[in-house]
Amino acid sequence: MKKQRATRAMIKGLAALLLALVVAGLLLGAGGFGWPAREILVELRLPRTLLAGLIGAGLGLSGAVLQGGLRNPLADPGLLGIGGGAALGGMLAFYWGVSAAFAPALPIGGLLGAGLACFALFTLAGRAPSGPALILAGVAISALAAALLTLALTLAPNPFALAEITFWLMGGLQDRSLSHLALAAPPILLGGAILLRLGPGLDALSLGEDVAQSLGQPVGHTLRWAAVGTALVVGGGTAVAGSVGFVGLVVPHLLRPWLGERPSGLLLASVLAGATLLLGADLLTRAAPMLLPLSQEPPLGVLTALLGAPFLIRIARTVAP
Amino acid sequence: MRAIILALLIAGSAQARGVVSLNLCTDQFLLALAPERIAALSFLARDTTLSVFAEAAKAHPWVRADAEAVLALEPDLVLAANWGAQATLAALERHGSQVVRSDLPQSFTAIRAETTRLGQVLGVEARAADLLTRMDRTLAMVARRSPVGAVLLQPRGYTGQAGSLTDAMMQAAGLRNLAAGMRMSLEQLARQPPALLVMADAPAYPSLATDFLRHPVLAGIKTMRLPPALLVCGGPWTADAVAMLAL
Repeated sequence: MKKQRATRAMIKGLAALLLALVVAGLLLGAGGFGWPAREILVELRLPRTLLAGLIGAGLGLSGAVLQGGLRNPLADPGLLGIGGGAALGGMLAFYWGVSAAFAPALPIGGLLGAGLACFALFTLAGRAPSGPALILAGVAISALAAALLTLALTLAPNPFALAEITFWLMGGLQDRSLSHLALAAPPILLGGAILLRLGPGLDALSLGEDVAQSLGQPVGHTLRWAAVGTALVVGGGTAVAGSVGFVGLVVPHLLRPWLGERPSGLLLASVLAGATLLLGADLLTRAAPMLLPLSQEPPLGVLTALLGAPFLIRIARTVAP
Repeated sequence: MRAIILALLIAGSAQARGVVSLNLCTDQFLLALAPERIAALSFLARDTTLSVFAEAAKAHPWVRADAEAVLALEPDLVLAANWGAQATLAALERHGSQVVRSDLPQSFTAIRAETTRLGQVLGVEARAADLLTRMDRTLAMVARRSPVGAVLLQPRGYTGQAGSLTDAMMQAAGLRNLAAGMRMSLEQLARQPPALLVMADAPAYPSLATDFLRHPVLAGIKTMRLPPALLVCGGPWTADAVAMLAL
């Protein structure tokens, strides 16, 4: 009862904060702070702000689902190589002209890459992996995806491609347009809808596989849908914004002290907290060239890593035997 | 056996004795000035996004900037830029090849000087003079007008620097180079749109850098697209870019 009230208050608070950041996102751009001309608002700031919110929401939610489903506090789509796989898939569709001929090839490439990485992860690490096994499998998949990404970019037909590796490895939302929003939104929304329905299955899983089975929540079913939803959400987002790490890791950990351990209680709040976190990080990257002597925006993933890496160290210390 | 094949290969290529060019820009000078003397060009000369004479270049062999490969052609002259592949050029000079380095021209004065010089080097002074006469005729046809403010936008938002070839082209076409080397953001361009945007057609394959040029926020600004090859190297053909810009 108390937790429910905390959840409701938390959701209200996060929604208010998110709304404030959305307004700030429309007011802040390379042209300065203030209400811009209509086309700047609609063609530049709106898609950027909505993409940051949507992608952050997807990453936060998939982090909460993966941590619940794998019963491992270190699970995060970026850390486990799902983001890397998505970046590889989206990048291949982009630089070889497939997405220029058929625009939806971009998110499709992303979610195929993410799906492949999910499949490899579950195969390598098993159903209920130990922390080290999961992280090792994730490190292997991440490293392989980054290496293949670099190789593919050096072979890409466009001479500018190699310089764009920071975008695919660290993410970014600069100069995205409404068409990017239209490409990323459907898979993220669909994947999000799938993941949000997994609450009862995840709760049952937290009691152990046998109990889950006896509660009528088959483990395989829950994990399979978790993988499909994650691939849609991460694949769609990464295809247009590159691979942004740590959001999925940090968000559930920030929420647990208030909302408790039950996975289902975290899902909706993770959506809002993920959106808030990534939009806040994106606002910082927009403001950085105005505040610091930078000639360009820092990649989005740099900010989330600055926040997330110390977090990961803290978690790793507490879960270490 | 292998020695015989090698000897045959070298003997075969010896018939094509002539001039080897190892740089995209000298490739184009050679194609314009003395196509009959070409022994080999660089690979880039056949790329339609980089080379004005890409089709003509396909009729000639190409060679890598590799001393052994070049020596096998026994050229009596090697054309190159004065940057890049310097180790290769030094090796060629050690083997007695004559190497002429070109200072790639960035202004019409420099284009005139370089065309005349390479015409002398290749022994085709009359053709060089003819190309320059035609270039000056094209430039003279550009109507005088009060300068129009324009931005020549390159991938990732870079712009033509003052003193660069693109700056010289814009001036000759009666355009005021507004950005002059500043890096432009899409918001800046949308907020203070120039009277004219000049862009090179993006290469066939996409990249984030060239996608910048296709962002819908730029759709409302009057835009002129040039063939990208015209912006790469300065030469008598640069007048064609000026004629297009002046329209």
